Amino acid sequence: MTYSFSKNSKITESGAVTMAEVPLTDIIQSAIDLVEKDQLVFKLMTATDERATKNGFKLWYIFGDASKHSFVVLSTILLDTTKFPALSPFVHAAWNYERRLHTFFGLIPVGHSDLRPLILHENWPEDIFPLRQDFDYQTKPERVKNTYTFHKVTGEGIYEIPVGPIHAGIIEPGHFRFSMAGESIVRLEARLGFTHKGSEKLFEVLPLDEQVHLSEKISGDSSFSHSLAFCQALEQFGEVVVPARALSLRVVYAELERLANHFGDIGGIMMDTGFNFGGAQGARLREMVLRLNEQLTGSRFLRGVNTIGGVTQDLMPEQLSQLRREIASLEKDFVEIIDVAKNSTSLINRMKGTGVLTNDVAVNMGILGVAGRASGIAQDTRQDYPYAGYEAVSLGEVPVESAGDVQARFQIRVQEVLVSLHCITAVVQTLPAGKSRADATEPVVLKKNALALSAVEGWRGEILYFVTTDDKGRVNRVFPRDPSFVNWSALPSAGFDNVIPDFPLINKSFSLSYSGNDL
Amino acid sequence: MTFSLFLLQGLLVPVLSPLCVGVIKKIKAWLQNRQGASIIQPYRDLWKLFHKDERISKDASWIFLFAPLVVFSVKVFVGWNIPLFSLDSGFFATSDALVIVYALALGTFFLALAGLDVGSAFGGFGSSREMTLSALAEGGFIFSLLTVALLAGTTNLFGIASHSLFDSGLHFVPVILAFLGFFIILLAETARFPFDNPATHLELTMIHEAMILEYSGKRLALMEWASANKLVLFFALGANIFFPIGLASGTDISTILIGVGALLLKLLAFCLVIALLESSMAKFRFFRLPDLLVASFILNAVAIGLINSL
Repeated sequence: MTYSFSKNSKITESGAVTMAEVPLTDIIQSAIDLVEKDQLVFKLMTATDERATKNGFKLWYIFGDASKHSFVVLSTILLDTTKFPALSPFVHAAWNYERRLHTFFGLIPVGHSDLRPLILHENWPEDIFPLRQDFDYQTKPERVKNTYTFHKVTGEGIYEIPVGPIHAGIIEPGHFRFSMAGESIVRLEARLGFTHKGSEKLFEVLPLDEQVHLSEKISGDSSFSHSLAFCQALEQFGEVVVPARALSLRVVYAELERLANHFGDIGGIMMDTGFNFGGAQGARLREMVLRLNEQLTGSRFLRGVNTIGGVTQDLMPEQLSQLRREIASLEKDFVEIIDVAKNSTSLINRMKGTGVLTNDVAVNMGILGVAGRASGIAQDTRQDYPYAGYEAVSLGEVPVESAGDVQARFQIRVQEVLVSLHCITAVVQTLPAGKSRADATEPVVLKKNALALSAVEGWRGEILYFVTTDDKGRVNRVFPRDPSFVNWSALPSAGFDNVIPDFPLINKSFSLSYSGNDL
Repeated sequence: MTFSLFLLQGLLVPVLSPLCVGVIKKIKAWLQNRQGASIIQPYRDLWKLFHKDERISKDASWIFLFAPLVVFSVKVFVGWNIPLFSLDSGFFATSDALVIVYALALGTFFLALAGLDVGSAFGGFGSSREMTLSALAEGGFIFSLLTVALLAGTTNLFGIASHSLFDSGLHFVPVILAFLGFFIILLAETARFPFDNPATHLELTMIHEAMILEYSGKRLALMEWASANKLVLFFALGANIFFPIGLASGTDISTILIGVGALLLKLLAFCLVIALLESSMAKFRFFRLPDLLVASFILNAVAIGLINSL
């Protein structure tokens, strides 16, 4: 044991997770110690309502230790109180998690300086907390008219531009409030929550197989990664052994999902600079991958593929050779397109220096995935916390850029596409024989009163599922943390001091999910 | 005969302009491996808009209601007064270079006012950007016409066209420089790359489209039609003032037909260049655009300097 827990904590270890129950009085110091002394990464923070059994809410703080491929979990119980000391003044990455707890559980982080509701809007009563166990999911609270105050910038010539929630393109809804000085962005505030669907609450009531389907819809463009993360968590509970072939197939499908979305985003970034050739080609490549997905699995977005214990779609030898052919032709096209893009000075000029997210800010906010790597954070869940068949695949060094601008995020995607293409080819060549899913003769029995953490490197970044079961072995809390929830907080910083015509490009280079954030 | 020529001259720009827009879109689609809409789609779009109801903001004043008429009529007026296919279809006092420049400026002025009128943030920054660009473009525009006017000894556009026609080969360098300067202005004034992206849906990046964002129905149709007209006007100016080859100088049918044919070919060439440009480069950042416009001004200044030294 090398972590610096406080001496009052009760420590248990199971698999790759170290858990410590800490008294409320020590929790902040313990969390700070883990981050500062042990150099762990703050991953996630959430709560469970255990008033029925333990007389209070339980707070969970999850930290990651990439060097040991393991997670550290701090938990503390709030006995007969809803107040707890805020961690966000010390670890900024906890900021939005604490706001969420305040909105959805009615827990009060003392010392947090912005407790405006997150995700829920002015029409939702501020004294109804939907994630408490005594809130029935079918309750329809009366509409109220609260107020929401945007941050106000004052000064000579400062004006505001409200954008959205409905945008001109076919994208999800979200409101952006720009405070402007001429063409420059002085402050940007994003107001999301328009696609809130009550997914976390739904996980509490749906039967298990429908929960898997629900996880596919947390963010539709990451269907496979989300259901993979959720299935892995359930497999931990049920101690299901997933066959080797299924583990490898999961790698193939996950990389196909990454390819489709990276192609789409690479094209989208070029399109938003007005470089129409690149834009059209990116959309074309994405469509080719989606059609390939449909031919292989029957679903363009790989829905219905993941199941507890493996995958429902095995690949036949002729499908494998088709896959190999298509991957080869995709690579050839992609390399040609990127060659053209790299030689376009007007394109490079638009991307370079635009929307800079500095390494300091990115580290402070715990920015994940593509955006994190573009700002110098070398992290990749596939290598840091290996899952599925990734341990057996060599992905090479994690691509990292230091500039943190649109071009860096573009470059990271280009490099990742090449890695994905090679990864698929390698896995297909060495695909183990055997079954593609564990025998499912009986319904899976889940461990009781247990916690499972499951991390997957989605194409945006790390998707982390926090799942607990109750004393009857039923799933009673799921927190699907999409990387968008974390990365949205980087946008105001990246947009600051840019000219407003560049904002759509900056936004596209992050390419975040509204649905995954709003849940 | 003269009257029918006069009528043809007036109608040619509004009739041809949607086709030009359609052709550019078609070529761009081909260059992107797409099939693209039919080249007559812009006519259908206008037809559709003219049959639609309008939504007008309750904050709109008479300027908002009146501006599309001004903007459209200015374009028709200018179309009547510049050499299109024949040298004998015009020659009015109103065909003066300065009249044309400032008639177009009047249209831009009302367009910008209309953008500001309903008080939406998008219209506001659209107008602000448009005024920034047109203030800088005006100098280049006047100087490019001034170069050829000095060569021809008249500021009447028909005069310039007929003069250069019979003097071709002389003053080659100043004319080419002035044309390059004019071409940059053409891109700025007609809201094409790298100044503006006519195909974008991103409201924050728009210039021309942001100003007409509040329009719908018939008034939107007039605005769209007017901007298509402006495109053809600038193509025709560029083609006939600097390279007046093929302009008819007579009233018999065959010369008129040759003149119209030459105009169509020239328009097609311009469409092709615009489509190629918009498919092969990214739009510039807004604050790089003044550099381009200043470059236009300098090109024209050099052109004028060359004339004087001859």
